[in-house]
Amino acid sequence: MAEAIVFYGLAALILGFAVLVISTRNTVHSALYLVVNFLLVAMLYVMLGAEFLAAIQVLVYAGGIVVLYLFVVMLVNLKRPPETHQDPRRQTRLGLALASALLAELAAIIVYSATGESAPAATAAAAAGADIAGGNVEQIGMLLYTNYLIPFEVASMLLLVAMIGAIVLAKREL
Amino acid sequence: MLEAYVPILIFVFVATGFAIFTLIMSGLLHPERYNKVKLEPYECGIEPETDARDRYSIRYYLVAMLFVIFDVETVFMFPWAVIMDELALFGLIEMIVFLFILVVGYVYAWRKGALEWA
Amino acid sequence: MLEITPTHYLVLSAGLFMIGVIGVMVRRNIIIIFMSIELMLNAVNVNLAAFSQQWQHVTGQVFAVFVIAVAAAEAAVGLGIILAFYRNKETVNIDEMNVMRW
Repeated sequence: MAEAIVFYGLAALILGFAVLVISTRNTVHSALYLVVNFLLVAMLYVMLGAEFLAAIQVLVYAGGIVVLYLFVVMLVNLKRPPETHQDPRRQTRLGLALASALLAELAAIIVYSATGESAPAATAAAAAGADIAGGNVEQIGMLLYTNYLIPFEVASMLLLVAMIGAIVLAKREL
Repeated sequence: MLEAYVPILIFVFVATGFAIFTLIMSGLLHPERYNKVKLEPYECGIEPETDARDRYSIRYYLVAMLFVIFDVETVFMFPWAVIMDELALFGLIEMIVFLFILVVGYVYAWRKGALEWA
Repeated sequence: MLEITPTHYLVLSAGLFMIGVIGVMVRRNIIIIFMSIELMLNAVNVNLAAFSQQWQHVTGQVFAVFVIAVAAAEAAVGLGIILAFYRNKETVNIDEMNVMRW
């Protein structure tokens, strides 16, 4: 019961702040709503028992990526606010139509999966996963540094490329 | 399991409540005697010359970008540190390879002057 | 209705993803579009965490960690491209981003 109240409250807030992110005129306000949205999603991870994910959500998203966004908003500060001029090619209607088509598609999938046979209980999978003991972070670490060793090293390569790419793109003014 | 987070929830409520309470109370209690000097952004110090909404230096972006990249790097190091004993030498070699690749980027950033502020 | 199943999380994630799609489609400010992409990546992460809970296995969460790493790289390079573009055209409106080189 308590879980249901917390979930519905969080869900309403998450969706509400997401709508604010995409609907606000002021880009700085958008970034601030994005922080709130990320923090609420972190709470959702806690409810799902993914504590490590919640921690890095706050650490990387709310603490790092949004700061990057804010700096870029400051850097491209325009004297004339963007989107004030009415653009004839503005494709709001097409966008909303595409989004609602996608929504219908997803609704169909949900209805189909709800009426079809229910997902098998987690017992078999739990037995498979139970051999990894310890808390959430230990489990993630065990999997990350054994089964997913190559993706882990590739991730470092990706970060390297991103760093060099960003420096090259921004360097001209240095 | 969620009960363990009740103290954090109380903490959040107390922190928010205190901020709102302080704002409301000081709004109710303070006398209103403004003059030009009092309304300036800094009562003592350098007078502001331009609007705060001015273009910033691109170095802010570079620093924030490097912060995000190394932030993600630390995120990968936390689980490794927790299970260091079980992974033993294998884990150490893995992490050395991981760090070596990122140190290459760090050296590049340093050589290109992305860390210099002047 | 009162018992929260993984399906509830999937529906929420679908809604969040949808809002991201609408943001990408409707807004013209490229920074807002990037924020919408972050919203969509978040929706994907909620999905992964929900499945991870359903199967009582942390593989989904490991994938979510990788998604966050990719999101960080995407933000770094994407915003770098925005800055490089802004330097040349003094705009963040994507309708005016219609040439490959200048």
